[in-house]
Amino acid sequence: MNADTHSTPAEQPQPSHTDSTHNATAAMAGAASGGHDAHGASHDVPPEQVFNHLLGELGDHHGFVLFGHVADLPIMLVDNGFHAYASPAKMEEAGVFTMHKGHPVRKADMKPPQLDLSITNYVMFQWFAFVVLAAIGFFVAGKYKKNPKKAPSGLQNMIETVVVYLRDEVVYPNVKGAAGVRLLPYFITLFFSILLMNLFGLIPGAHTATGAIGVTAGLAIIAFLVINYTAIRESGIGAWFHHLLGGAPIGLAPIMIPIEFMSLFIKPFVLTMRLFANMTAGHIVLLAFVGLIFFFRSIAVAPASVAFSVFIYFLELLAVFLQAYIFTMLTAVFTGMAIGDHAHDEVHGEHH
Amino acid sequence: MTNAALAYLSAGLGAGIAIIGVGIGIGQLVAAALEASSRQPETMGDMRTTMIIGAALIEGAAFFALVICILLAVK
Repeated sequence: MNADTHSTPAEQPQPSHTDSTHNATAAMAGAASGGHDAHGASHDVPPEQVFNHLLGELGDHHGFVLFGHVADLPIMLVDNGFHAYASPAKMEEAGVFTMHKGHPVRKADMKPPQLDLSITNYVMFQWFAFVVLAAIGFFVAGKYKKNPKKAPSGLQNMIETVVVYLRDEVVYPNVKGAAGVRLLPYFITLFFSILLMNLFGLIPGAHTATGAIGVTAGLAIIAFLVINYTAIRESGIGAWFHHLLGGAPIGLAPIMIPIEFMSLFIKPFVLTMRLFANMTAGHIVLLAFVGLIFFFRSIAVAPASVAFSVFIYFLELLAVFLQAYIFTMLTAVFTGMAIGDHAHDEVHGEHH
Repeated sequence: MTNAALAYLSAGLGAGIAIIGVGIGIGQLVAAALEASSRQPETMGDMRTTMIIGAALIEGAAFFALVICILLAVK
């Protein structure tokens, strides 16, 4: 049977393959041989549909999957009342909702509930990133408290280098004055959390939390709030409206105001899309290259395919760091632009 | 041609055409950076950083088009 010839090349011990193919290959071996637990349910996927099935793997699950089904995650729905179930199986038992193509829907009319607040795979990985970040933060801060005069070394050194770089090259040059000092923790948290979330996605078998547009949209919404709140707080609401003119004479206001108003919303939207697409596209390309082995159904494609996959993996690694840096830098630049220049020429008291 | 076939075809064409613009843009960017750093080698470090940031921003634009193509292809 086709399934057997697929599993053998993929399931051999793979010292020559990189970890990046492990993720996709393990999932593929599971899909092709059918009944593997890696997807939390037994599928018998015909080989032609392996790629579509894997593309679905990039999405969200209601089970915690890391190299295989680890645990069932609770489902919490808001639908004329709050429903919480400990696992998808319990939800099926209760009978009000049922799973349809991986999403819970109302059994009555097969429509999705009003609000799906379940703790899914992406949420778990986001929490991982936050927990790791908090652990690193407390650890490094403790070291500083214990001997403040000692030269840093090890993890402390690395974190300090990055923090100092962010402070001196990204935040202070763009967000001038007291606002920069106040917002520095926000920018550092932003950078490290995006970096950690992206990095966890590179681990084979794990999901990229920032590969969900909800996560990046949330980050962008917070950035939007920070930008506008800081602008209004630093320069006053009159200056904020004045920015909507964009420096053009008042006669051009009918044209400038709609454009500037839209750009207020487009800038965070662009931040969202950039981060989301960068993270997801990398994984899709990786899947495509490994999928070539299955499309051609021969192991002869494997060396070229794996070589390309390694190359794309390193490119993704670069993209991870770059995108975290760019998100932070652009937020700083937008905040600086929103605060404007005139607020720091005169005494602050005059504005408020 | 059925709707689905048209959608797949347009997704492929769209992704290809989007990449043309990005290729030209990033190519010009790197060419300008190389020429400028050959005129003034001491600014090479700064220029490298700016070049990478510029490339990432241009690539971001390509990804918008890519996401639309992917939406076309899977829906």
